[in-house]
Amino acid sequence: MNARKPRPAAGLRRLRDRGATRRAGIIARARGPWRVVVSESSMAPTILPGDWLLVDPTTARWPRRGSIVVFREPDSDLLAIKRLVAGPGDRVELDDGHLILGDDEAWLVSDAMTAELLAAGAGQPVDSRRYGPVPVGALVGRAWLRYGPMDRIGRLAPARR
Amino acid sequence: MFRVRSFLAPKATVHAHCDLPCGVYDPEQARIEAESVYRIIEKMGANSDPTFTARAIGIKEKQADLAKHHLDVLWHDYFKPEHLEKVPNLHELFWNATKQVSKVKASTDLAEAKKLLDMIDEIDAAWRATGGNEKTRIQHATA
Repeated sequence: MNARKPRPAAGLRRLRDRGATRRAGIIARARGPWRVVVSESSMAPTILPGDWLLVDPTTARWPRRGSIVVFREPDSDLLAIKRLVAGPGDRVELDDGHLILGDDEAWLVSDAMTAELLAAGAGQPVDSRRYGPVPVGALVGRAWLRYGPMDRIGRLAPARR
Repeated sequence: MFRVRSFLAPKATVHAHCDLPCGVYDPEQARIEAESVYRIIEKMGANSDPTFTARAIGIKEKQADLAKHHLDVLWHDYFKPEHLEKVPNLHELFWNATKQVSKVKASTDLAEAKKLLDMIDEIDAAWRATGGNEKTRIQHATA
C-alpha cells in the first residue's frame, strides 16, 4: 500500500533537476557583472591590471578548455579571474599523482609563471593549485573581450597553455 | 570625454591575485606559536606523567611547525628584494630562525625555545624597519 505519487526514473529525475538548476543559474547570472576591471597581475601577459573586460554571464556550464573565466573564489568569495585548463571529467596532473575532475568541476590556474610572480615579490598565485577544483556553481561568466585600454582592444581567444 | 569614460568603466573588480589578497603579514603570528612551544616545554618540566609528556610533545611539534610556516610565509611573501637594503642580514635572520625551530622541535631545552623567541623579535625589528607595522596592522581600539 504505497500512496506516494509514482516518481520518474532516476535518470529522468536527474535530467529534470539539472534543467531546473541550470535555468535558475542563468537567471541569477544574467544580473552580471557584464563588465569587469582586473586588479593584480597573475594573468599576465594575457590580461594586465586595469584591463576592462566584457564578461558573458549567461553561460551555465564551464566553457571549453583554454577559456578565461570569472568566478567566485572558493576560499574568499572574491570575484576572481583565471584560465580554465581542465574541465569536467578531465585528468589533472599533479606533482604527486593525478586527479580526475568531477562532472561539474574545473581546474583554474593563472597565466603568469610562478617563478616570475615570486621574483616580482607577489607570492604564489592563488588558483586551483591552492584551493583545488572549482565547482560550476562558482562560475560567474566567461571573459571574452577586452575593451580597454584603447590600444589593446581585442577578443580574448581561448588558448592552450 | 571624461563622461564617456566613466560611463564605460566597469563597476565590478575581478582579482587575478597572488597569495594573500589582504596583505597582512605579521611576525606576531610566528611569535605566538613560539610562545606556546616555550610554555609547553616549561610545563613538561613540571609534570612527569607519561601521558602528559606524550601529548605535550605532540603539541610542541605542531606549534613549532606552525611557527616555521608563519616565518616562511613572512620571508617569501612579505619581504621584497628592496627590503634587503634596509635589512642586509634579512636572509640570515630567517635562515637562523627557521633552523632554530628545528632545533627546538628536537629538544626540550627551555633556553633553545627562548633563543627562538629572541630571533623572532629580531625579525620583528626588521619588519618594523621596513614599515610592516604601519602597512599591515589595524590598530587596537584600546591601547
